[in-house]
Amino acid sequence: MTAREIAEKTGGKIEVDVEGASAENVYVGDLLSDVMGHAGDLCVLVTIQNHLNTLAVCTLVGCEVVVLCHNRPVPPDMAEGAKREGVAIITTPMSQYEVALALSSLPPSPRK
Amino acid sequence: MKFDLHIHSCLSPCANLEMSPSEIVAKAKSAGLDAIALTDHQSARNTPAVAECARRAGIECLYGLEVCTAEEVHTLALFDTPEQALEMTDFVYAAMPKRVNDPDVFGDQPVVTWDDDIVEMEWRILAMACRHPIPAVSAKCRELGGLYVAAHIDRSAFSVYSQLGGIPDGASFDAVEFSRTADESLWLEKACGLAVVRSSDAHNLDDVGLVWTEAELDGFTVAALKKAFEARSTRISPRLTKF
Repeated sequence: MTAREIAEKTGGKIEVDVEGASAENVYVGDLLSDVMGHAGDLCVLVTIQNHLNTLAVCTLVGCEVVVLCHNRPVPPDMAEGAKREGVAIITTPMSQYEVALALSSLPPSPRK
Repeated sequence: MKFDLHIHSCLSPCANLEMSPSEIVAKAKSAGLDAIALTDHQSARNTPAVAECARRAGIECLYGLEVCTAEEVHTLALFDTPEQALEMTDFVYAAMPKRVNDPDVFGDQPVVTWDDDIVEMEWRILAMACRHPIPAVSAKCRELGGLYVAAHIDRSAFSVYSQLGGIPDGASFDAVEFSRTADESLWLEKACGLAVVRSSDAHNLDDVGLVWTEAELDGFTVAALKKAFEARSTRISPRLTKF
């Protein structure tokens, strides 16, 4: 699923657009240590963590799309980092659970 | 005495590589600080170097680390000696993920000597949380004779307020820290009666000396700070309105 499709399904806005960014599974998590341990390659990460460390974890797990819930803003350093690392960022007014429901056609990240 | 309890060196992956112990100490002195504490993420491995630099420069120093707990809350553990701080580091390292740092993702993590030679590159990912929750870190810090401070409680990430919604019971914090920009009129009541410090959380040399805390102290020691905290006698510098 492309970042654009994810934005449409979640009523979100693409804050950082990255050509070709897409996802094949979903992981929901706000503790980055948990995300690092469990999120799958090519997941869309659904979270409220709107800061630079989120992107580092995305790079480690192979995530190309982040959905920030509750319209959390994207700080400038995070936007720059996302462009650099090739991670698309979408903001949505939805909660994590609402996003999960909206993306239910995608499977969860495989268990590790 | 004017002091800053929260300064990172080049060992922190997110800090500028210019933050060598010698440069930090020189900048602190020229900025008019009487004392500093070195607090890298999850590690005190550069504290022996800063101790030597501080001794040569005639500036007071405490030795610590910024522990990122299981709750992903940043907390400062501060000690009188590098040895105590390194023992705390061993405790934290034992609960760190066994993944190797990728400097291209998180940044370099050099352990250095007092005269800026690189001893080795720390291999753990210091940007990640450890598995110890706040009560366990607090208890270990106390056992080793340290001070335990809730870092930048006003920040929207990695603070007691962002992660837990408040100051947890049983955390036994000796004080809470305000960031450079924290507005006292909003945050003082959220300190829940604990002593307050303001620190730079410096990651670049330009950050050192921007803000500080003042107190009448009989020496820059854990015991003296504890006494000032208990008496609620610390005073903080004005906040920065531009960041």
